[in-house]
Amino acid sequence: MKTFEGYRRPNGSIGVRNHVIVINTVGELASFTKKMAQLVPGVIPVVHQSGEAQFKEDYEQTIRTLKGTAGHPNVSGALFLGMGEDKLAKEIEELLKDENHHIHVVYFNKDKPITEVLKEGKEWLEKAMERSKAETKVTADVTELIIGLECGGSDAWSGVTANPAIGACSDSIVRDGGTSILAETTEAIGAEHILAQRAVNPEVGKKLLRVVKEYENRIRATGEDIRSANPTPGNMAGGLTTLEEKSLGCIKKGGNSTLMEVIEYAKTPSEKGFIFMDTPGYDVESVAGLAAGGAQIVLFSTGKGSPTGSPIVPVIKIGTNQRLYEIMSEHIDVNAGKIIEGLNTIEEIGEEIYGKVMTTANGSITASEKHKNQEFAIWRLAETK
Amino acid sequence: MAYTFEGYLRKDGTVGTRNYIGVVSSVVCSSVIAKEISDRFPKAIPIVHANGCAQLGDDFQLTKNMLVGVASNPNLHSALLVGLGCETNQVSGLLHSIPKTKPVKGIGIQQMAGGENTVNRGVEIIGKWSNEVDEEKRERLPLSNLTVGIVTIDTDEDTLRKVTPVVGGLINLLIQNDATVVMGLSETLEPAGLLLAKRTNHEEVANRLRKLGEGVERKQWKEIKKEHSTVLGFTEEEKTFAILESELTGANPINSLLNYNEKPQSKGLHLSSATTNIVETFSTMASSGCNIVLVVSSRGILTGSIALPCMTISPESKSGAFDELTDYIITEESTDVQVEKLMNELIAISSGKQTSLEKFELGEFSIPHIGTTF
Repeated sequence: MKTFEGYRRPNGSIGVRNHVIVINTVGELASFTKKMAQLVPGVIPVVHQSGEAQFKEDYEQTIRTLKGTAGHPNVSGALFLGMGEDKLAKEIEELLKDENHHIHVVYFNKDKPITEVLKEGKEWLEKAMERSKAETKVTADVTELIIGLECGGSDAWSGVTANPAIGACSDSIVRDGGTSILAETTEAIGAEHILAQRAVNPEVGKKLLRVVKEYENRIRATGEDIRSANPTPGNMAGGLTTLEEKSLGCIKKGGNSTLMEVIEYAKTPSEKGFIFMDTPGYDVESVAGLAAGGAQIVLFSTGKGSPTGSPIVPVIKIGTNQRLYEIMSEHIDVNAGKIIEGLNTIEEIGEEIYGKVMTTANGSITASEKHKNQEFAIWRLAETK
Repeated sequence: MAYTFEGYLRKDGTVGTRNYIGVVSSVVCSSVIAKEISDRFPKAIPIVHANGCAQLGDDFQLTKNMLVGVASNPNLHSALLVGLGCETNQVSGLLHSIPKTKPVKGIGIQQMAGGENTVNRGVEIIGKWSNEVDEEKRERLPLSNLTVGIVTIDTDEDTLRKVTPVVGGLINLLIQNDATVVMGLSETLEPAGLLLAKRTNHEEVANRLRKLGEGVERKQWKEIKKEHSTVLGFTEEEKTFAILESELTGANPINSLLNYNEKPQSKGLHLSSATTNIVETFSTMASSGCNIVLVVSSRGILTGSIALPCMTISPESKSGAFDELTDYIITEESTDVQVEKLMNELIAISSGKQTSLEKFELGEFSIPHIGTTF
């Protein structure tokens, strides 16, 4: 059994990183969140503009994502910045405190000088950093790992090299008792029947088909055709011709394992094994959802080259072709282009990726971590107003 | 007396109150690189956001228009667009749409083969522009060159009663001096729609305002699936409050009701759609050509716009908690005296004096969504 050294949290989960983060609730506090993070070296800002929403569904999705981010196993401590009587902050604070997470909220309001709020926040973060440094690692095994599967800037090689290699890795992790989550509902369109056939029971299969159908309907209701945004201009330049073709390549990341469960955006799976999460094809929003759902590491294939990462989870980039690896090696962790060159088989690259997952779980830094690619955004369902 | 301020006169006749180099990311995926480039230069500002890919129809068009608008804003001397390469919102499309009245260039991470090359190329381009920026001088210009946004956030009746006579007086003075004023039509102002409708000569604008005044047409979730929406009426309290808020713009006639990032086509007073997210409202004002914003609040605010000076106005508070972020605190002095003081402060800020929010480097940019991402 493959093992790694991680951080055991009070709720029993295991982290592969030990971050201290600071998050805003409303957009107005974004600047102060970045400032607050700068006050204490090592603190990571998680900044977004999603705190104000018109619909209950967007509000709930924001809460779920922020809660999943702050309560993530890779996070040792999280500070929220809230505004006045901040309903969102209060709700998240209660939810996380119930689960024994190390969390604190500082509120800006008109009765308290700003300097005092900053001081309170800084002191808490300093203590949280000290506390995180004192935390020691324990041995855990792969059954406790959740891996997110993502692709971005796909080309015609994605479905031939990197995605099947990720699929081979995903199958191995599932075989060893771990969990992997396939995402991006957009890129299940046209390939959903294949995934549904692999469902553990008819209910899970039906749920997958329903999620994809609802997704398509939601797009159609806006009077638009998903095929006009996907494949993107870059995908086409990379040789992809249709969404179906992109989808067939995309689902290869899920290997051939049995589909155990279909979950909503930013929800934590209740089953182990191969899971599907309903997320958009928009990489940064999708990775944020996977992370909030508890994935400790994300595998991300790219054909055109994408530098994006996450503030809280290591993202491992798998390049689909040799040329990309040659010109953009600074953003690539594993070169699946070797498959085209005939240097390695899909299975061998799958093993290389699995090896990379384990060294990353043990603390080795990925390309996106090295470059501080900490992009974060929450899937927006409808208008802001 | 004719008021003047000192601004940067652009080739297209618009005037900047600031002289920034904008580093604009076309998509969230290039935001870190755009910020890295911008951070190397004191005159550069990062215009980064969470949008740019996997968007469709009107929602995509809004993102594109917002970026075209902000790149065209007179407060920007020049704009460097930084893309990834594979995104929906292509840099080439933005370049095509931005009027060629200032230095504008575009680069992409995939085209440059990586973030490091992109940063180097960006630094090279902006290095050149930085020298040009340093050589530009402000000129004395009439107030007719100002486009002033006005926004309220977290106001209460007491605040409005204290602030309205002074700000209303300032707006009257600005309009007498041929400036353009754009008032954010917030949720709290909408209940005054019937009254506002009486202030316009344009039937179409009046109809839209009356409709808003009848009740916010808040779509229900199901409506996204094209079922139905409901109109919620307003309470008397909401209406009274809105009427008070409407007086911030005096009794001036309303020339138009602008959609997100639509530019005013005449001098005088305009209303523009505003969202509940203050950062989005500032950003739509930046993209519709405003060069300064007035913010009225009961408490002072914690962020401004990355591209526009935001002058904050609040009544006196007991604790004074937010005083250091407030530019003008309403006093007991006579209205006339305060209007004059406020005008002088507006002119000073338009001529380069830093606002409190600028001093603390508190500024953001964000694009509203009008649909879901895919």
